[in-house]
Amino acid sequence: TSLPSGHTMGHSDQAVQRRARCWDMYQRRFSSVSQPVNLGMHSSSHQQQDGDAAMQGAHVESPVRYTPYAISPSHRRGSFLKQDQTHVNMEREQKPPERRVEVNRPHETLGSWFKITIPFGIKYSEKWLLNLIQNKCSVFFIPVEFHYEKMNATFFVENASIASALKNVSGKIWDEDNEKISIFVCPDGIPDSVQREPKSEKVEQVKLAVNQQQALDIQKLPVYSDFMTCDTKMVRNPRKGMAASLHVHEENIPKVMSSGEMDKWKGIEPGEKCMDRSPVCTTFLDNSSNINSILELFPKLLCLDGQQSPGPTLCGLEAHKRLPTCKGSFFGSEMLKNLVLQFLQQYYLIYDSGDRQGLLGAYHDEACFSLSISFNPGDSALSILFKYFKDNRNIKMLQDPYLRGQLLKHTKCDIVDFLSALPKTQHDLSSILVDMWYQTKWMLCFSVNGVFKEVEGQSQGSVLAFTRTFIATPGSNSSLCIVNDELFLRGASHQRTQSALFTLVPTPFSSFMPAFSQEQQQMVPS
Amino acid sequence: MRKFRSNWSQGDRERYHERRDYYQEKAHTTHSSRVRWTREEVVTPLLPKHAATSSLMATSVDFKTYVDQACRAAEEFVNIYYETMDKRRRALTRLYLDKATLIWNGNVVSGLDALNNFFDTLPSSEFQVNMLDCQPVHEQATQSQTTVLVVTSGTVKFDGNKQHYFNQNFLLTAQSTPNNTVWKIASDCFRFQDWASS
Repeated sequence: TSLPSGHTMGHSDQAVQRRARCWDMYQRRFSSVSQPVNLGMHSSSHQQQDGDAAMQGAHVESPVRYTPYAISPSHRRGSFLKQDQTHVNMEREQKPPERRVEVNRPHETLGSWFKITIPFGIKYSEKWLLNLIQNKCSVFFIPVEFHYEKMNATFFVENASIASALKNVSGKIWDEDNEKISIFVCPDGIPDSVQREPKSEKVEQVKLAVNQQQALDIQKLPVYSDFMTCDTKMVRNPRKGMAASLHVHEENIPKVMSSGEMDKWKGIEPGEKCMDRSPVCTTFLDNSSNINSILELFPKLLCLDGQQSPGPTLCGLEAHKRLPTCKGSFFGSEMLKNLVLQFLQQYYLIYDSGDRQGLLGAYHDEACFSLSISFNPGDSALSILFKYFKDNRNIKMLQDPYLRGQLLKHTKCDIVDFLSALPKTQHDLSSILVDMWYQTKWMLCFSVNGVFKEVEGQSQGSVLAFTRTFIATPGSNSSLCIVNDELFLRGASHQRTQSALFTLVPTPFSSFMPAFSQEQQQMVPS
Repeated sequence: MRKFRSNWSQGDRERYHERRDYYQEKAHTTHSSRVRWTREEVVTPLLPKHAATSSLMATSVDFKTYVDQACRAAEEFVNIYYETMDKRRRALTRLYLDKATLIWNGNVVSGLDALNNFFDTLPSSEFQVNMLDCQPVHEQATQSQTTVLVVTSGTVKFDGNKQHYFNQNFLLTAQSTPNNTVWKIASDCFRFQDWASS
């Protein structure tokens, strides 16, 4: 029987938090004799030729209590913080930006540090996961800097015997779906909070705040601005510095399967002091080239937009409620990600081909489909939505039960007939965002957000944004069989239209497609 | 200590009283235009039983009935959900199953405790729903557990933040009692659509 989710750790959790809070207060008390934050040297070495550089340096003497939401995002301040973030990113090479600081420790290291990683730990809440591990682990441990990196949960512990005890828990704990949870241990460096000098605790906190500001600013941008070809011309944004920093940001986000990432798992460095000499680090990431190729086709899915916001109590911001930072696509697992991406690739290949009859193979006999649209002020080219208006199923506005029934397409023939009558399209798969939000043995629910272009008719060249929600059951040929399909359309804003990437990506489609059934092969246009 | 704990225990007390009052009131309540005072459950009438004349007829009648039921559940749900979210945030998780998950702009929140914590730390909100669509989910996917897909869109303003356009999906599952059907959220997916605002 598995533990109820969200079970608290009890005393140890509170003790850690209390200690962190005390440390915060101590820092504030003794460092608040406003020594200027040691960012001066960073900014001067990375000043953009903006003309505002000198002014920007002067801004950062803020006290520790940083309240990003209270500050109106003036251009100057935003630019400056962007620059600092740029520097931070470059300094860290391949590492993603600083995540939540769970415990602020004094700078002296008390022992050797080990990085503990739970693959796909992103599925689990922190409390639940740590509680589960602690219950199974023979020794008490304090997790330091718990955070999520891509799909994994990770934290540090300070002691080789603790690390060893944690390693022993691997494979002996299960989640609520009865899947084994693995734990990987690496004698990998020192958590960042411990590494720093105590007087740069302030730098730490301002950096955290900087990350928050950056996350805020990112939210202001179109979500799908194209990082791959981002330059100042394309992103029409007054804050020039942002485009450059975004570019840097993108470069420094490691791809999921990059060799750099995999190297981390390859074993103990020679000469590293470690009590346990057995190969604790094993490569768990699959080396399959198929996966790499798929991920190249969907580069957007690799970008995480920001990091988890630190808990308010731990950063001296108790009073503030905050929005979590927005993140990129979410998939339940690597396997499901591949499944969904392959499905989408095939689906839109047919959808954009000019003959949608091939989609008959993708739908269940009794599938449902409906379309809804929304007009937002500020959308360009609203007129292109008019043609969808008659099929718009918005039951908030539509009370007539007969019409409500009519507008819901039922059976795959009706659905495909309807889809075939829609204008020919070109979808930009490189810019999609996917949320896989429910899965059981029998069904998968996921939503796809993206843009497409109409490539025929009066509105040729117009760009629309969509959110398409699929509910699918396992189909034949390890594919998916759609039972519910809801397509929501809206206009794309002017800004988005400008930065959409619509070049056809020359990818070897054939290497990804699983074998079509006989019926499907006949349907696909040659 | 933890803010939401003390609230939760009070909420428990509140819930007891409200539930008691609700069950006394429900005998008179229909889904019609009758003014409802605050409720924290999404409830629809049980489906009427049809006598099938032929198998073909039965199929089409049943499907239409499921479509109607889905619409009714979705409307009721959306009214209650967003009002609760805006005005009685503490009570929001009562609309969720114990093991429900939320994916909020890519952040995963799983289980009632985590959901309570999440909604507690989310700033106060003002939602405006402009679009609502729904479909009955095919039984093959749900193993005959009656489920409705709800899709909404609109705008939201969180305190301290600018207004965002959003899209949200829910899976609602039905739990039938002798007198009615109670709907709870099995899964919830929420996303800002940032490009809509400049």
